[in-house]
Amino acid sequence: MRVRTLVHRPWRRLAAGMALAFACSAGGAAPAAEPGQVIKNPHYGDTLFHFYKGRYFTAVTTLMASQHFDRVSRHADEAEVLRGGLLLSYGLHREAGEIFAQLIEKGAPPSVRDRAWFFLAKIRYQRGFYAQAEEAIARIGDKLPRELEEERSLLQANLLLARADYAGAATLLNGYLADKKDPSFFTRYNLGVALIRSGEIERGSALLDELGRMPADNEEQRTLRDKANVALGFAALQGKRPEAARIVLERVRLRSLQSNKALLGFGWAAASLKEPKKALVPWMELLDRDASDSAVLEARIAVPYAYAELGAYGQALERYNDAIATFERESAGLDESIVAIRAGKLLTGLMERNPGEEMGWFWNIRELPEMPHGGHLAQVFAQHEFQEAFKNYRDLQFLAKNLQDWQDNLGVYGDMLDNRRQAYAKRLPDVRAKAGGIDIEAMRKRRDEVAGELERVVREADHRAFADMRERGLMDRLASVGSALEAADGDASLAPARERARLAAGALTWQLAQQFPARAWEAKKALTAIDANLAEARDRDAALAQAQREEPLRQERFAGRIVELDRRIRGLIPKVAALSREQQGQVQELAVAELERQKERLAIYATQARYAVAQLYDRANLAKKDDDATKQ
Amino acid sequence: MTQSFIRALALAAVLTATSGVSGADRPAAAAPAASGVMASIDPAPGLDGKIQVVKSDVIKLNRDLLVLEEELLFPANTQVALFVSMDVGKLFSLDSVQIKLDDKVVSSYLYTPLEVQALHRGGVQRVYVGNLRAGPHEIVAFFTGQGPHERDYKRGATVKFDKDTDPKYIELQIKDSTGKLQPEFDVKIWQ
Repeated sequence: MRVRTLVHRPWRRLAAGMALAFACSAGGAAPAAEPGQVIKNPHYGDTLFHFYKGRYFTAVTTLMASQHFDRVSRHADEAEVLRGGLLLSYGLHREAGEIFAQLIEKGAPPSVRDRAWFFLAKIRYQRGFYAQAEEAIARIGDKLPRELEEERSLLQANLLLARADYAGAATLLNGYLADKKDPSFFTRYNLGVALIRSGEIERGSALLDELGRMPADNEEQRTLRDKANVALGFAALQGKRPEAARIVLERVRLRSLQSNKALLGFGWAAASLKEPKKALVPWMELLDRDASDSAVLEARIAVPYAYAELGAYGQALERYNDAIATFERESAGLDESIVAIRAGKLLTGLMERNPGEEMGWFWNIRELPEMPHGGHLAQVFAQHEFQEAFKNYRDLQFLAKNLQDWQDNLGVYGDMLDNRRQAYAKRLPDVRAKAGGIDIEAMRKRRDEVAGELERVVREADHRAFADMRERGLMDRLASVGSALEAADGDASLAPARERARLAAGALTWQLAQQFPARAWEAKKALTAIDANLAEARDRDAALAQAQREEPLRQERFAGRIVELDRRIRGLIPKVAALSREQQGQVQELAVAELERQKERLAIYATQARYAVAQLYDRANLAKKDDDATKQ
Repeated sequence: MTQSFIRALALAAVLTATSGVSGADRPAAAAPAASGVMASIDPAPGLDGKIQVVKSDVIKLNRDLLVLEEELLFPANTQVALFVSMDVGKLFSLDSVQIKLDDKVVSSYLYTPLEVQALHRGGVQRVYVGNLRAGPHEIVAFFTGQGPHERDYKRGATVKFDKDTDPKYIELQIKDSTGKLQPEFDVKIWQ
């Protein structure tokens, strides 16, 4: 009866698995640069560099700083799509949604708008707003990047599944599959599930069967292939087709996440075919594996069941008793694990063995912590809910460290600013003294005098005013010669000398007159240069005066900002610490809940084993009575 | 009876492992009507919602801290930033770069394969940021790696530039010259 109630569960579970497959494949699809995109602002390229390196926190924060400085303006829309995608990946749905909505409202180009609608649809789906998500997905045009197309189909199929339109989901995925040369394992898997859920069990099974035989390139694909085969195998067992079950279960790898379940199912297929000897082969293999796995535990009672079927009651009894002892030991081990988890050892161990540089959604648990009975935890870690909760815990740890680092840095910046203030105060008197030694006003007066004189010289055509040193020397000599000749006024013998002096004076005057325009122009040019120099000196003086007024204010503003930012850091540190504690509790309780479920399962197995032992004793007693009766 | 019960348990165990839908993927009880482009999507209540709020606050705080840091340490009027970019990169496999500014080494950087890949995909690395006085300056960059035919390759690029009172952004570009079948090293001064 119980078996019958579970018949439909494989496909229901598979549908849930499909949603998970979508979540896994879509989780990190933040919008990156378009292929072949030309970088028009180097700081946008810098953000992409961090993004491609997987340093998403640095990418988003440096991008926001660059946006503040307006140095990614040539990639304004792209930068917003990237920021929205990164915030979305951190679970900041509201902020991300606002960014995408603004891009749409402001009429961004179609390629940006399509991505914005896509991410809005994704956000709405993740928040459970299915109708609105469908509305958003319907608005996506034909400019969505190719790498997001598959994700869009999966999202759309999930939305159809959410409103139980299995046939619609199957049609959609089928159409997508037909168009695509090489659809991903996820798409094939999801289509198979959608077909089965829409009632097309044969086609869905055929597709999963095809997937179960496909060559796989990586571990993710191999795991999905194993999963499809295990699901098909158990569905065949439920459909009382043990032969078919054997065929598909045989395809599962002997060492993989699904192998224990496959071995268990393989044994049950043999048992169904009344071949208990063959059933013992996979089950005995399971007995050598980690006892914390549920399939291994079940094999503990499956093996004696097979012995009993073979008529080896003594061995069956022994095995059942062994199983009961194992279950009790495992139950005690689970209790120890629960105590260790509640003491915080699980999270400490996980953090130590799985370090990561930044807050990130691609992060996964790679190494199990060193704990007693660590095998129990494998199923805990497989839970999406646990992984998400632990990611949040790890993110909070990163944020705590980030805040602590900034607090230290701010202290250094504060000291640096103090040093600058002191150095400024120390140098200011010297600078002021130097500045005071230059009297710009006196210079301006001198310049005005020179300008007035120049104007007079030009007006009066005073050629002699521009005479240079040599010419002035000549003029002086001619004057003294003239004076001497005047003193000897009656001396006729000096007539030639007087004539020479007159000619020389005339030549000099002629020369000065000739050069007057050029010299006047040069003088005016020099005056213009003086004006420029004076203006520069005045500007510098004003700048110095302004700096003297503003620098202290600027330093004051920096100091104020440091205080304010420090206040924000101090406010956030206890919040993060409190949330970390709360999240730690939640993560631990998730793990404990799973272990409690394992304990319950063990108790059921133990009860079954005891019941079987009692049955064996009853059988032995009956046999003995029959024996005694025969003898009498 | 025992067999069918055990099998049911086994099946349940198998199927449990194939499930695992997150809370976010679960349908909501009732979805409110959309208003405008943005439907009312507030942070989820409870612990998850509180964590989202704190994450958002810390991200904004980091932005403000980065802005302060830059304004304090590298004011716009003296700031100079050097970037490294690489296009196809088939003719040159970058190992390291050394940059001298006015004959003083300001950066020596050794690249990881992931960083080289990030450059190929269009990322531009800000390899140095510092301060310079206004006036003429010179940058000399040395790139080392493997050139065509996997031969060790070292090349330099030089640029002289004038620093004014605006920030100066200089990009050192590594390009493939398909004509010469050699890598080219170029310098671009952003305006």
